[in-house]
Amino acid sequence: MNEKRKKGSIGKILLWAILIIMAVIQIFPLIWLVDFSLCSSNEMFTSGLLVIPERIRWDNYVIAFRDGNVMHYLLNSIIINVLAVIIVIFISMMAAFACTRMHWKLRSFVMTLMLLGMMIPIHATLLPNYKIYNYFHITDTIWALLIPYVAFSLPQALFLMTGFLASIPKELEEAAVIDGCGVYRVVFQVIMPLLKPSISTVAIMTFLNNWNEFMMASTYLSTPKWKTLPFSVLEFTGQYSSNYAVQFAVMALSAAPAVIVYIVLNKHITKGVAMGAVKG
Amino acid sequence: MNKRVLALLMTGVMLAGVLTGCGGSSAGSNQSASNTEASADGEVTLKVFSNLPDRKNGQGLVEQMIIDDYMAENPNVKIEVEALDEEAYKTKFKAYAMDGMPDVVSIWGQPSFLDEVLDAGVLAELNEDDYKDYGFIAGSLEGFKKDGKLYGLPRNTDVQLIYYNQKMFDDNGWSVPTTYDELLKLVGDIKAAGIAPIAMDGGDGWPMATFLTDIMVKVAGTDYAKSVSDSVAAGNFDTPEFKQSVEVLKQLVDAGAFQTGYDAQDYGTAMNLFTNGQAAMFAMGSWECSMAKNEDIPEDIRTNIRAFTFPVIVGGKGGANDIAAWNGGGYAVAADSAVKDEAIKFLNYMYQPDKLSKYGWENGVGMSAQDQTSYLTGDETELQLSVMDMVKNATSVSGTPINDCGPATFKTVMESEIQGVSNGSESIDDFIKAIGEACK
Repeated sequence: MNEKRKKGSIGKILLWAILIIMAVIQIFPLIWLVDFSLCSSNEMFTSGLLVIPERIRWDNYVIAFRDGNVMHYLLNSIIINVLAVIIVIFISMMAAFACTRMHWKLRSFVMTLMLLGMMIPIHATLLPNYKIYNYFHITDTIWALLIPYVAFSLPQALFLMTGFLASIPKELEEAAVIDGCGVYRVVFQVIMPLLKPSISTVAIMTFLNNWNEFMMASTYLSTPKWKTLPFSVLEFTGQYSSNYAVQFAVMALSAAPAVIVYIVLNKHITKGVAMGAVKG
Repeated sequence: MNKRVLALLMTGVMLAGVLTGCGGSSAGSNQSASNTEASADGEVTLKVFSNLPDRKNGQGLVEQMIIDDYMAENPNVKIEVEALDEEAYKTKFKAYAMDGMPDVVSIWGQPSFLDEVLDAGVLAELNEDDYKDYGFIAGSLEGFKKDGKLYGLPRNTDVQLIYYNQKMFDDNGWSVPTTYDELLKLVGDIKAAGIAPIAMDGGDGWPMATFLTDIMVKVAGTDYAKSVSDSVAAGNFDTPEFKQSVEVLKQLVDAGAFQTGYDAQDYGTAMNLFTNGQAAMFAMGSWECSMAKNEDIPEDIRTNIRAFTFPVIVGGKGGANDIAAWNGGGYAVAADSAVKDEAIKFLNYMYQPDKLSKYGWENGVGMSAQDQTSYLTGDETELQLSVMDMVKNATSVSGTPINDCGPATFKTVMESEIQGVSNGSESIDDFIKAIGEACK
């Protein structure tokens, strides 16, 4: 009896140790980011993992706000990302329902077509898309970012949604239909609440994927009107060397919303991924 | 039943897509029209596409100052700047080359960049005679020409230098090497004192390539440019002068001339080794002369920075006054700009001697490609003056650094493989073969 407990406690200590080490490794980049954002550019290059700054330089953040256009770009980032997340959830949920629960001739074809999008590398589409957007005069508008952001997030979202949807018993819908629900009420009032874990997973993935995206944004946008947060970092990039300390401050500012979103939705994400994976 | 609902839904989605698409397009076209064309009341909008995203410091500040001046003097002109850093700039430049090139753009007067651009015909031809009185340094326009026609103007003169810490040299009884053998000995002495001899940004590739250019100038002398362009044309770098230059580089690495881990460290790291006094020398271009004015650098180091060029190699054709210098970056005007006349007017305005040259000199961003002697303010640092003398006393100037002499693939291969050949993971013969292949 006693021995058993001992064994258990050793195992527990080991487990805790490993988990703590993992947690430290995971959280270290964030600590490092904040640490470097508070010291001067020169202190950054002294040896040692973390720097204890001579004096804490909040002015890095002040400069970031003043010269980096942070507020404007942050607002743009939030608008574009929130819209992208909503559109992706909306389309992927309806498409998943249509492709798994409804019976029509082309459903597996449409599904494959949409999932095929996962195989297209983003960089290959950069120049052709630019040409197409230019033809339709939508470069430098919000559409130039929304369209690709939604398009590139959709396949993954659809994949997760269909996997999760398969685990929801059909009988629920049958009952709803018997009670007099139409298709839309079935989707939005019966299925949607049940899909909550999967919706938050999709939300988090879409958000994190697009929050730091720069390549497409830099190609499709030219005026500051719709520029997103990653452009703020650029404002401090010199021709040969950069103001690293302020760049760290900007990066800390742009990492913050992503971290917050993750913490808020974190409860659901693990559940969503796991359930979708098994029942897929 | 299901089918019909679905069809309806799909139609709805498609219709919505079409509608929003149209809405976006009409708004967009209005915008672009107002951006590029001169409207009735003489308002002109110039779009400037720049590779200098930091508008508050250095060259970016100089550019912005001139733009502000121009807008103040010409109230009917509005200048919109779009700035990206070098990599993103080059990607977007390709997109713009297909469609909608901004009116005034940053360019590089080097074959690796300019050849493709001129073949695409996106840059406007400039009249060379207009620039006779602008005081451009002899030969500085050559990189911006094709078939005798001028397509752009150079912004800077860059010189490849080895900066050193005068105080550290004096304290230890070291002296500036005048021959390669002295340099090798100096490297040994500095190493023995426990200091890194030369801080090198080996992580980026290009600083080592420009360093190699300086070596080759000392090996091949005035034949440098011809030798390199012949090699690029033939796709064969197996020439005695090139091979010897690479061997010299390798020898220096083997002697421990660069700091430990130089091939993985970037610009800022290398520079900070030098400015913190952990390295005695720093190999970089003349644009870093502003170090002498940088308040962030400790004063006893800042005021003691001096520079020399790569020492003479015994048996080499290059003398001490044959220097590795070039006029890389510059500006051009788009060929299909709707406001071409205004764009050229603005370009010429930038190059008025009291703009780029004067502002650049006053802000310590390096030397312009024009005659600057009339702008000496009297409080130049000794470093600035000595580098200016180097250019003034030069018997020959190399032109384009070696990595920028060939097509874009050559540049990429050269800059990535030069790490391998310097740290010994690739043999010199393999290196020569690889960069030769990249020219074909």
